[in-house]
Amino acid sequence: MGLGEALRSWLRVRGRSAEHVSFAVRRLAGMVLALYLVVHMVDISTLLMGEHVYSAFLQVFASPIGLVFDVVLWAFLVLHGALGLYSALVEAGLLLERRKVLLAAAWAAALLLLVVGIVVILYVMG
Amino acid sequence: MRLVVRRWKEGWRAPRYDVFEVEADPSESVLDLVERVSLKLDPTLTFEHACHHGVCGACGMVVNGVERLTCVTRVGDVARNGVILVEPLHGFKVVSDLVVDKSRMFSRYPDDTRTLERVAAQVEKLWDCVECGICYSACPVACSYPSYLGPSVLAWAFHRAVEEGRVPAPVASRSGVWSCHAAFDCSEKCPVNFQPGEKIMRLRRLLLRGAVEVV
Ligand code: SF4
Ligand code: FES
Repeated sequence: MGLGEALRSWLRVRGRSAEHVSFAVRRLAGMVLALYLVVHMVDISTLLMGEHVYSAFLQVFASPIGLVFDVVLWAFLVLHGALGLYSALVEAGLLLERRKVLLAAAWAAALLLLVVGIVVILYVMG
Repeated sequence: MRLVVRRWKEGWRAPRYDVFEVEADPSESVLDLVERVSLKLDPTLTFEHACHHGVCGACGMVVNGVERLTCVTRVGDVARNGVILVEPLHGFKVVSDLVVDKSRMFSRYPDDTRTLERVAAQVEKLWDCVECGICYSACPVACSYPSYLGPSVLAWAFHRAVEEGRVPAPVASRSGVWSCHAAFDCSEKCPVNFQPGEKIMRLRRLLLRGAVEVV
């Protein structure tokens, strides 16, 4: 079985339940965050090329595109965190009878944190 | 009504989708439609069924993207704009058209497993599971990790663990309960509400607490 087939089955959304879609979102967010970690290592290592290179790199993230990037990253972070917390609880066999309520609460928390984050990123940092 | 069927037979390089125009009553089953096509329009169309009333578990297929027992799925409930797309279950090797090889599930039950056919009067069937394989098709882990024991087998192991206080080592291994990632589509799609996802997590809890022996 190849990676493509695995990804297709993980990220399948047609005809899937809210639980499966949440699993797909959690996995996708996890993969994006792992990729971001690599990008972050690269951007930090520009320090080795001198402070001016690092500062020039940081300027990119202060631009409007940088802010959009921050919002997207924050969205993946809160989705992965909130859905991950839901998953950690049910995967430990806890609150299984209430897993649907728990999942709804995880989504609500993620969306609330997303809105708060967007306000902070655009109005405080931006 | 337009019935679209995913076709593949040994020797074909790729699957194809055949379209059949059929008369259909909204209250008849999707399986009735498939049978009519095979009887009247294309005798080479292969599919599985036996009981026709949701007990044997043979007729599982993916209907308009959702795993269902087709003998108890009404045409009127699933048709979209007069179209029904029927595909074989995911997670199993396709043998021919809508027939899949479910041995990855059946071969994991020990010989003394109490399946529907082997049931003795003193116990419930296989604790209600009809062994349709729908939970494998719905599970993203079963579809991407062939060694995974799978939802119904692990749910069976949970019942054994509760009754006997022990589970076979593979159940407590990476190809067992620890590979489940809580997508819960197995439980959502299971036609008899056997709740394999919940049972896997309960079994994990028993293992974490050391309440069952691994043999
Ligand atoms: S647990 Fe449910 S979906 Fe899975 S094989 Fe048994 S009846 Fe079918
Ligand atoms: S034919 Fe037996 S369950 Fe559908």
